[in-house]
Formats: sequence, C-alpha cells, structure tokens
Amino acid sequence: MSWLFPALGVLVAVLTSVSRGSARRYLYAAGAGLLVAFFAFPFASALGYLSREAVHPTPAGLLPSAPWLVLLALAALAALVPWPLRVHGWVGGAGGLVVLALVLAWTTRPVFLARVVPLPGVMETALGLTVALLAFVLLRARGLPVALVATVLLGGATFGLLASPAGHTYFPRIEGYYKTFVPVSAEETRALIARYNAGLDKANALRAEIGLKKLEPIRSLVDLEGGLPKDLAREGVRLVRPASLRYGTLAALFLAGLMLASGFFLARNPGLAEENDLAGGLVAAGVFSVLVPSFYATEFSLAKLVEGWPFFVNFLDRAWPPNLADPAHNVFPLQEVASQMALTVEIALVGTFLAMLFAVPTSFLAARNLTRGSGLTRALFTLMRAFYNVDRGVDTLILALVFVAAVGLGPFAGVLAMAIHSIADLGKLYSEAIENVEKGPIEALEAVGASGTGVVRWAILPQVLPLFVAYTLYRFEINFRVSIVLGFVGAGGIGFFIQNAMASGMYDQMIIGILAIVLVVNLIDFGSSWLRSKLV
Amino acid sequence: MIEAKGLGVTFPGGTEALKDINVRIDDGEFIAVIGLSGAGKSTFLRTLNGLVRPTAGSVHVGGVEVGRLHGRALQRFRRTVGFIFQQFNLVTRLTAIENVLHGRLGYLPTWRGILGLYGEHDYALAQRYLSEVGLAGKEHERVDNLSGGQQQRVAIARAMAQEPQLVLADEPMASLDPRLSDVILGLLRDYNEAHGVTVLVNIHVLELARRYARRVLAFNQGRLVFDGPAETLTNERAEQIYAGSLEAL
Repeated sequence: MSWLFPALGVLVAVLTSVSRGSARRYLYAAGAGLLVAFFAFPFASALGYLSREAVHPTPAGLLPSAPWLVLLALAALAALVPWPLRVHGWVGGAGGLVVLALVLAWTTRPVFLARVVPLPGVMETALGLTVALLAFVLLRARGLPVALVATVLLGGATFGLLASPAGHTYFPRIEGYYKTFVPVSAEETRALIARYNAGLDKANALRAEIGLKKLEPIRSLVDLEGGLPKDLAREGVRLVRPASLRYGTLAALFLAGLMLASGFFLARNPGLAEENDLAGGLVAAGVFSVLVPSFYATEFSLAKLVEGWPFFVNFLDRAWPPNLADPAHNVFPLQEVASQMALTVEIALVGTFLAMLFAVPTSFLAARNLTRGSGLTRALFTLMRAFYNVDRGVDTLILALVFVAAVGLGPFAGVLAMAIHSIADLGKLYSEAIENVEKGPIEALEAVGASGTGVVRWAILPQVLPLFVAYTLYRFEINFRVSIVLGFVGAGGIGFFIQNAMASGMYDQMIIGILAIVLVVNLIDFGSSWLRSKLV
Repeated sequence: MIEAKGLGVTFPGGTEALKDINVRIDDGEFIAVIGLSGAGKSTFLRTLNGLVRPTAGSVHVGGVEVGRLHGRALQRFRRTVGFIFQQFNLVTRLTAIENVLHGRLGYLPTWRGILGLYGEHDYALAQRYLSEVGLAGKEHERVDNLSGGQQQRVAIARAMAQEPQLVLADEPMASLDPRLSDVILGLLRDYNEAHGVTVLVNIHVLELARRYARRVLAFNQGRLVFDGPAETLTNERAEQIYAGSLEAL
C-alpha cells in the first residue's frame, strides 16, 4: 500500500501542472515539509519491554544509526534554494528520487538494537521559540519595542518554566523528549543475546513454578519483535524496526512523489512558476505539517471504516421500519418524539429569551463608543468584555453538566446553561452593532441638546433594534441545535429520548427522533432566515 | 449676538483648523460663510454650538461663553441652536414627525424624553414647521422613503422646532441636486426674515452666497480673510481668497 503515497504526490503534481498551476510552489512546499518531517516526524518504531516503552525515532534522531539519512535534509534544503527555474526543476526532481531511494533503503533495513540518548532541552526550546514567535507576530502591530520585549519575556518565561524542576514535575515527558538512537555494535549485540540466552534456564525455572510457558532461546534480533527482555529495556536499549511504517515515512513518500513530479514538470516548462511561490509553498507545508500528525492522533483509519460497515448496515436494518406506535405494548414513540421535540424548542426559546434579557442592557456597557466618557464607564466596559470572553469560553454543554449537578436532571438545567452561555454571544453581537451605528444621528441629537440617555434612545436604539432582533433569531437557531444535544447530558428534550432509545436498543424508535430533528432543524433555519431577511 | 475673540482651534493631531478669529455678528443677520473645503468653515460653525471646543480665545453666543459649558448647561444651550448637517443626520428608520420632534428633546425632562412623551405644544410645533418646509401630509412617512431634498427639509424643520436663537447650516446643499439649492436657501432666508433668527450658512458656491447673504465671511487656511457686505465681494477679491488656498494645496 505504501506505493500509493508517492503516486498520490505525483498525481497532485500532474493535475496542477495540467491546469497550469505553479510547480515551483510544490517544490518549496515539499522541501519545507520534508525538513519538518526530518526533524519531527517518526520514521520507525523502537520497542522496549512494555508497549508504553515504545518510542518513535525521527530521521534526525536516527542520524547516529544511519548517517546517510542526512541526505534527506540536504535534498529538502536544496529544493528550498531559489535556483534558476529550469535548474530548480532538475534539483527538485533529483531530490525527489533521492528521498524515494532513502526511504526504500531505510525501510528494507533489518531490525537493530540502539541505545536511546535523550537530547536535553530540545522540546523546552522548541516550545519557548514557538511562544516567542507567536508573541512577536501578534504584537508587532503595537510597535517593535513592545513586540521585542514581549517576545523575549514570554518566550523566556515559557522556556524557563518548562526547563525548571517545576516544569519537569508538571510535564514529566518533556524532559529529554527528543531522543537520538546510537547503534549497539554487532559484538555487543551478540553478547547481549548470549547473556539473555544464558539467563533463560533460571528464568524458565521460575516460570515453571507459577505455571507460565517456557521461553525459547533467541537466535537473532528478529525473534525479539514481540518486545525486548526487561533488563535490556531498562538499560535504555530499544529494538529499532525500520520496516514498521510510521506516518513520517508515509508523509515523506508523498512529498517525494510530489517533489519528483513537480521538478520534472518545472524542468520541462519553466513557465510553471508564480511570484509568491515561496510564501505559498511555506503555507502549504505548514498546513501539511499540522494535518498529518493530527490524522495520526485521531487514529484515522479507512480500514476500520470498512471493517465497521456491516455493523452500520445492521444498525439501519434494525432501525427500519420505524416503530411509530405499538398500542399492544402501550408504547407510542411518535407521540413521545412530538412532545419531546416541543420541549426542545421550548428550552431553546426560554434560554434565548433569558439571554436576550441580560444581553441587551449589558451590551450597551460593552460598546466602546458609549463608554469612552469617564473612568467608571471605561472600567465597566473592560469588566463586561472580560465577562463575555470568559463566558464564551465555557460551552453550553459544560455549563449544563454543572447545572444538572446543581438543580437536578431536567430541562431547567438546560435552560440555565443555555441562557448563561448565550448572554456572551448575544452581548458581543449586540455591542458590535452598537459600535457600528451611523455617527450622524448621534451628532444631530447631541446638537439639539438631548441628554445622553436621549441620544441612546433616539439615535442608537432605532438603528440597532432590527439587528438585535436578527441576531436573537440567529442565536435561537443555534440554541435549538444545542438543545438537541443537551438531552444527552440529562438536560431534557429530544436528545434524552434518543439516548434512552439507543441505550435500550430501540433503534426503530430512535430513528423517529433522528428524522424529526432533520425536519425541525431545517424548518427552523428556513423560518428564521426568512424572518431575518424581512428585518434588515 | 455672536462674538468671537482670538478664537483658535488646534486638533489633537496638530492641525490648526482656526487661527485668531475675531468677528461680531448681530442678531437677525443672514451670513454666508465661504472658503474651500478644509479652510475652517465647518470648524467655525461647530464651535458656535459646542460640537468643537476652542483651544484658544473665546466665543460668546447670546452672552454665554460656549467653550466653558458642560453637561446640563451645554444641553440647555444647545437646544437654542439649530444645526443643519450636510448629510442630514436623520434617524432614517423613524418617521418625519418623530425626527422633527427630536428638536424638542432638549426641552423635555429626561424620563419623558426616553419614553417619547412629547406635549401638545411640541406636536403643534413639529406639525407647523413640517408644513412650513412644505412637507404637510408626509408626517408619518418613514424618512428612508423620502427623497434627499425632502430629508434635508425634515432636518430643517427639526432645527426650527427647537425655536432657536441661532441656526447653523453646514453645507446643507452639498449632498443634493444643485437645483434644490434655491429651495433650501430660500427656506432658510424666509425663516430668517419671518422670525428674525440669525442664520449662518456654509456654502462653497460663491454665486449662491452673493445671491442670498447680506454679509459674507471668507475663510482660508483657518484664517478669516474677508468680512463684509456681499456686494463688496468682487470677483477679483474672491479669486484672491480662493487663489491663496490653491497655492497652499
């Protein structure tokens, strides 16, 4: 299957070149992506005694064991140099071939033993630099001195905290996170195997006493693929298995294919380049470098999807036809869905209404243009905005869990959670509407000698009222969808029905709930957007 | 009576909008203020109702030093000065009469203002001035359904409803069809003549200034460069006024 990955890279390059997109951008992207992969992506698994002792070395970490892997980094760097276009194409094409050959050579290498030598401070430095870079980018608009001071302080503080004993207590895995793998020499390997086999008699005697089966002596390292002996692993030795493909290997294969084909097309047609290729390529590489580990972390697997398909079909099979009513057993699911759905809408209505009640007055305090007057109003502004920001960060579902604990299971907990979370969302929208009103009427009302409240009432309110209504409707749409999920944490409504039906295996009842949701969500979205279009 | 002494305005950015203005205007005058845009005309008008505060010198209107007013006193003063804006500055979602009634807000207690509880007298005034500007029958029309010329007439009625001692009009025709200039200026001059209220109009069309005003003030780069009867503003003189600013551009 691994040949699919370079093929995919080639395909992307071909499609882009056919549509006259920039091939050089892919050279930059592949170069930068390979560089990231070289330093940060795993290229093998290395086993210890327990499964959690397994580590995943990067090419950079493997350099002591396979120095020739440095060619990977060189090929990547070469693709990042702004050569003349045709030369760039040849360099990229050759680089792609080199990377393919390297990956092939690496993955066909037999297993070997290596000693783990952690590099201290790598992760601490990397995180410190990341924070520093973010601080600089975000604060540059406030002037260079501020940005530089913030960069040094924040970056330094991050590094300092992580590298301190406290940091190593809170984040124990950070210390020596980055590991290099120094090979164990052939003689030493033989000696280790001999030592292991010599100790077997004693171990097997012990195992026989407690009824475990006898361990066989090992002839070569391949016999150890189930895991290393305990004492070897404790010495920091790991069994490196180049043939076990990790996502880094696959990413490198894809990028090699991309680089090879783009280079070829660029060499043939130097017109396949654009002005901002470097920037575009770096952005693409950045997205790639974030997406690939994310796919890995979320255990994305097409194979599992295929394996699970029959279960899905079985589920549908048991759900259809829906059980609308069963008078014989005195169950009326359709009736139940209808009343639970009504309750769901009611939760959304009350939650949104309560939120509006609190958001309208507070939004005036959270509008910058109305609070410039005095120190007191400026303080209130800061307070309101801080409240909104904290409140927005706490999702309805989390609040619902808290309120279920406080006021018990049922719709009241859901209403409270929804109201409190929506205040911030509505308040922020309202206050932005207030900040964007036309200034003219305000000036005119000030000029006729109206009081401050008079200006708000007659110059601002008439302008923002239709927007307030539109935003409230919009929030109601969202809150209705939220209130469906609220049932799952016990806060009442259709979600509660679905969860019950599912837990008791009544799929033919649950399907009614699902279909009702699809129907009502669309009805409410349609109705609310029609109303909103009438308003603005 | 309006009296400016050594009046100067420097904006926070450092721009000097007005420099050492000394002028005296008697009650009941109709004055055109001319000059290129950026010459200081607008700023001058805005110092007269306190929308802009002087940074040097002083300006008195009806015996009150405008720059020293704050809060309640400023509101009480402003209700006696009508201001007509180039962009009308109406609340377009409200009806014509509601906008004219805004001119009465300065005379109502705050709570009645918020609730919109205007008195009989206020309604009568609003009705009367809407008729005076020729919009009888349009009272309950929403302002965004009115034409530009009608909107500016609503704004003029709003200023009149204040029963002001002074009306300031800042380029009231600039956003309108030029043919409407005579309608707007005619309304303002009739009002001036009928009620004896002082009117100051910023105009950048020289010919209109000559035709309507008895007295002309000309500004150039923040200075008052001409103050006299409209007849003495010869073409030659006017060219000098504008030429200076052109060179500065």
